[in-house]
Amino acid sequence: MKVQNDVVKNYRMVPEDFVKHLFSTLVIVAVVVLAASALFGVPEKQPITIKSYSTAHPVAFEQMALRALDGQGQIASYGPPYNHGTASVQSPLQSMVGVLHPINAATDFILKPLSMAAAINPAIKPDLTQFEQASPAQQAGWENRYTAALAKGVYRNGVVVTPKGQYGPLPTLMNATLALGKSGLMSGALMRNGAVTTRFDNQNYLLFLQGAPLQNAPQTQSLQGPNWGIIHPAVNGYPAAWWMTIPTWIYQWPFVANSAAPDAMALTLGFVFWLALALAPWIPGLNRLPRYLGIHRLIWKNFYKNQPVDTPPAKLEKGGTQNAS
Amino acid sequence: MANWTITSKKMLSEVMSAETWLPTEMPEYAQGFMYMLGSLTASSFVVLVVSGILLAMNGPDTWSYNGAMRFVAATHFWAVQAFFFFMMLHLWRVFFTGAWRGGRGATWLLGAIAFLIAIPTAFTGFLINGDLYSQWNAVQAKDGLNALGMGWVNLTNAGQMFGMHVVVLPLVLTAVIALHITRVRTKSVVPPYPTAPKEGEARQ
Repeated sequence: MKVQNDVVKNYRMVPEDFVKHLFSTLVIVAVVVLAASALFGVPEKQPITIKSYSTAHPVAFEQMALRALDGQGQIASYGPPYNHGTASVQSPLQSMVGVLHPINAATDFILKPLSMAAAINPAIKPDLTQFEQASPAQQAGWENRYTAALAKGVYRNGVVVTPKGQYGPLPTLMNATLALGKSGLMSGALMRNGAVTTRFDNQNYLLFLQGAPLQNAPQTQSLQGPNWGIIHPAVNGYPAAWWMTIPTWIYQWPFVANSAAPDAMALTLGFVFWLALALAPWIPGLNRLPRYLGIHRLIWKNFYKNQPVDTPPAKLEKGGTQNAS
Repeated sequence: MANWTITSKKMLSEVMSAETWLPTEMPEYAQGFMYMLGSLTASSFVVLVVSGILLAMNGPDTWSYNGAMRFVAATHFWAVQAFFFFMMLHLWRVFFTGAWRGGRGATWLLGAIAFLIAIPTAFTGFLINGDLYSQWNAVQAKDGLNALGMGWVNLTNAGQMFGMHVVVLPLVLTAVIALHITRVRTKSVVPPYPTAPKEGEARQ
């Protein structure tokens, strides 16, 4: 393509100490980075832990735990790759992949941790057995009534108290879950893999807290999608992943934000932006744009200034063969 | 059909030559700060790798209770900021100078691929940090990957993210950057557009 071979030929080579150039840039970066580290340190915002959340918001914690148990929670009803729910399925691709990281929220988030807690506190055991042996209809009845009751729940003397009602074993089980959460032991109960002793996979810990605890926390409000999410730091005043500005901006487009698959759409459109950038040399119009923008005149100001005024028009030919950085 | 050995030999002798990597002269137009941006980006990457090795040697959460490792984590954090800052300036410079001209399309493309890979490389680093930013972004970003059928990349699995951040992505990124820089060295930086300066400009 002619326009792409559009380079001057008549330039001089000038002496250069390339090794010194490389050392200089390395020293510049090292000094800047070390100075910034010494002056500003590293941004760290305390994470929201099960212990901190259950201690600070006991009623909301029980409500969340109950949603995991009754299947109404975000992960309980999510769909692939965690389970066969449908609530968070955004595309056929997501369904095709299937269940890769199986989670049964009721069992994995609540009942298994409670069965471990029952080994320490046998008083839980009869209620746990009663719940597990009840029919699904019976369980749902208790869950629905206790969900309504928790809306009026108050935290008193270490337990959540609700108006009296037909809740079966749920008040005991939810308060036992609360006690487990407050003890700090629940993270261990969630990150279990009996086949190995390593604990690399913290999936269930993060997903257990991903709904209300994280969504409603004051410290995550500036990180929410509608507030340009990831490009904001968790600690004010620090830079974050500002290089994600374009995909984050795409999230703000109404037809993306309001679509059924906002995440898939934003990432896909972000990739299209990248494709346009990557293929710029071969996109007619875009590959000529820099010449018309004229900013190269500023960048090569000295070169153009030092060219003799009577320089004949440069020949068009394939680019320079000399080495340069 | 061309002789593969001869072709490889010719290519390697150029790529592995000291003349390619240690030039003693540069084109007159490739001078000044604008022509330091690529090197500044590469230097930031070197600082990232060195600080990253120190972090990997000591464990990903040592920064949270050890003062010295906290400082190393800070250098890793600021180095990634420097890396993207200089890369972005470099990107603007090469765009505004139409750096793909003269058979340099592959150089441009490799640079764009390096930019693309750098994004998840940095992101997985944020994910294994373990603070609120890490926690929040793991659970938020997973929906996008799940929706695209990439659920095997489990952002909430710190072990997988550690491997991605410390081995898989940096290796790929290093290879792409190395190819990009090799192209820059062998094809040189793009000469200016052959626009004769205006009378007034020439006499300034």
